[in-house]
Amino acid sequence: MIGALFYLRLTSLKNLVLSRVRRLRQPKYLVGALVGAAYFYFVVFQRAVHAGRLPAAGARHPAVVPADLLPTLVTLGALVLLVIAALGWILPDGRAGLTFTEAEIAFLFPAPVRRRTLVYYKLVNSQFAILFTSALITLFTGSWSFLGGHALCHFLGWWLILATLNLHFMGASFVVTRLMDNGITPWRRRLIILGLIVLAAGIMLAWLGRDLRAPAAPGTDLATFQSTSGYLRALAGRVNAVLASGPLPWLLLPAKLVLGPFFAQDAPAFFSALGPALLVFAAHLLWVVRFEVSFEDASIAKSEKRAARVAAVREGNWRAARGAMKARPGPFRLASTGRPELAFLWKNLLSTFPVFRPRSLAIGAVLIIAGYRWVARDPDYRDVLPVFTVAAFIAAGYTLFLGPQLARQDLRSDLGNSDILKTYPLHGWQVVLGEMLTPIAILSGVLWLALLTLLLAFHPQSLTWLTPPVRFTLAAGLVPVLPLVCALQLLVPNAAALLFPAWVQTMRNRSERGIEVVGQRIIFLAGQLLVVALALLPAALGAGLLVFATQWLIGPVAAIAFAAVAVLVILAAEVGCGLWWLGRRFEAFDLSAELRP
Amino acid sequence: MIEVSGLSKRYGDFTAVRDLSFTVGPGEVLGLVGPNGAGKTTSLRCLAGIIPATTGTCLIAGHDIAADPVAAKRALAFFPDEPRLFDYLTVRQHLAFVARIYGVQDHEALAEPLLVELEIADKADQLPGELSRGMKQKLAIACGLLHAPQVMFFDEPLTGLDPLGIRRMKDSILQRAHAGATIVLSSHLLHLLEEVCSHVLILKQGEKIAGGTLADVSARFSNGEANVSLEEIFLRATGGSGT
Repeated sequence: MIGALFYLRLTSLKNLVLSRVRRLRQPKYLVGALVGAAYFYFVVFQRAVHAGRLPAAGARHPAVVPADLLPTLVTLGALVLLVIAALGWILPDGRAGLTFTEAEIAFLFPAPVRRRTLVYYKLVNSQFAILFTSALITLFTGSWSFLGGHALCHFLGWWLILATLNLHFMGASFVVTRLMDNGITPWRRRLIILGLIVLAAGIMLAWLGRDLRAPAAPGTDLATFQSTSGYLRALAGRVNAVLASGPLPWLLLPAKLVLGPFFAQDAPAFFSALGPALLVFAAHLLWVVRFEVSFEDASIAKSEKRAARVAAVREGNWRAARGAMKARPGPFRLASTGRPELAFLWKNLLSTFPVFRPRSLAIGAVLIIAGYRWVARDPDYRDVLPVFTVAAFIAAGYTLFLGPQLARQDLRSDLGNSDILKTYPLHGWQVVLGEMLTPIAILSGVLWLALLTLLLAFHPQSLTWLTPPVRFTLAAGLVPVLPLVCALQLLVPNAAALLFPAWVQTMRNRSERGIEVVGQRIIFLAGQLLVVALALLPAALGAGLLVFATQWLIGPVAAIAFAAVAVLVILAAEVGCGLWWLGRRFEAFDLSAELRP
Repeated sequence: MIEVSGLSKRYGDFTAVRDLSFTVGPGEVLGLVGPNGAGKTTSLRCLAGIIPATTGTCLIAGHDIAADPVAAKRALAFFPDEPRLFDYLTVRQHLAFVARIYGVQDHEALAEPLLVELEIADKADQLPGELSRGMKQKLAIACGLLHAPQVMFFDEPLTGLDPLGIRRMKDSILQRAHAGATIVLSSHLLHLLEEVCSHVLILKQGEKIAGGTLADVSARFSNGEANVSLEEIFLRATGGSGT
């Protein structure tokens, strides 16, 4: 029977790879794959090679961490593993449930398969994910070159650590289920385990006693690397000695054995550490497959929850994907009559975090003003003001560039409901504007708070022209301009949703993975930045020319105000044209036709 | 009322609906039947203004759905086969949202009896995720009925409903028709359509095979036999294609 399960897994994998290759015939995937491959080659692999992260075959990294510190690291790592393993006994509050897909449950649970075979299947299945995770960790963490040893040793070491932990969690969940069957409630079990941990810690402390004192501080010598290094060595030696005395080494032994291959410095060391590590792995395996406990009910419940979460993610419903949703009061009172676009703002604000409410903006503004006044009043704290400025600049930059990708409570999230939206007695531009109002409001709110911070805290001495009246005029001019900039930014991804719905559907779907999807995301981000830069160019040029030409006549304050009005008009015209065009596109939009293969 | 003339819908080289013409008057219920892929849903979506027709005209309560879509849509309601609801709005919030979109004044006074009639008044503060399939269907109907539409389109309205739900849905459709609404519905459940529809339109491969009152269509395909069911008529009209 296990052969059939292997067949299922391997055939599924083969078909997945084949379908991924076949879909490259579609330009959207081919272009995405090329860009994604280029990204991974130039940004990840080549940088890693240049940085010495991926050594030539057979070579091993020179360790940055001194050899005498490695045993301490192993011991500390074992301690961390022990804590993680303990969480597997403390955290679970339900019965053991192995994660199967709905199809696996439909086919395998009624099949003449022994429960143990299902566990084997699940274990084999999980190895694919663990191997992939190990490869990613090794690749993106510079192969742990600072520890020395070969990248392959670190990769296999990670696999052993994760696979053993996986088995341990599974075994722990089985035992927890057995305890529940015997009438021990989760809280009672937690109290017992925490009590045991406290008891063990107490015994250790009593045993070690005076050995816990740290070495004498090196005083002023700490300023030099030599003495710091010496201090660390002394500290490490003491920690090692403390952790190596009494019963603690025996407690840490299994975890240390599992960590052995990961910390091996060369091939012989790796192979000699591999045997004991595999022994711990095998012991866990035996424990899990021999433990008879019913996991079917919890597995079915788990798979249903997982399927609902996946479906929610595919529909772009992140709130539902995070777990059970709760009804909330509306963000503001929605009257029966008035601009229908505001109904979309009201609806989409309900779909996001409750913090995004008008009152939050007011609270944020009050806190910023109060914080500024408190800091500015005391000369000792005044030096903190540049930190406020930098934070505001960073927040504004992130909001402007990444905000439109993160705040997606617009057509991108509602595309699946387009059939219903199109039956509403509204023009296309009204639906598009209404849908975009929520991300515009959220991003503008963040930008206004950043602007307020800058208005209060940004006083560069070098910019003599930035007088308080000029600062105030600039800020006042930016207040109405920023929502238009946000609208302009958001027009691009919303246009993409209507023009290339298949692309956007693919990117929304988190279950869609692969190099081609990464490439598609890069293309869209680059396209958005390019379009917005081009769209802002007329306004920026116009404003610059106006300020340059008029400031000599009417003064800088009036010139900036004049330029702000011009920017406002240009951006409003651009946004208006964009909305009108997108509205027409929405009216002619047919999702079912667009998604035809 | 609905007046359709020469309606066609093409996707590239593929013609989903070809030259469809018919009229449905107030108080009439038209059943749209046909095998899978006959163009029923595409026709309904064109009539409701969800997708633009390639050629032809469609008047909803006297308004051309292509030339004056806002006025036409103000008079219609479309009920898809699967209730499309917003996961994060409660039952009551759905009605508040729809009221604002359609500009329904004093919607609370209208919503309450509607919720009572549809037996979801006790679920008013629940999210769609907490409702059964039938309850969701009722909420979608409440949203569609709030603005008192003159024209209603139902796409497979009986899908997923239990026997009691089917009975209530049929009663509700007939009640609206008796009140003067113009109704078009598509369904594969022919024996149920027979109980509700005054008229029938049989489609096959995007083309109209037959249309008219049930009696007219029966007479055309009954070959002189008495009491021929709509199912039998359908099979004869479509040349034995399954639904």
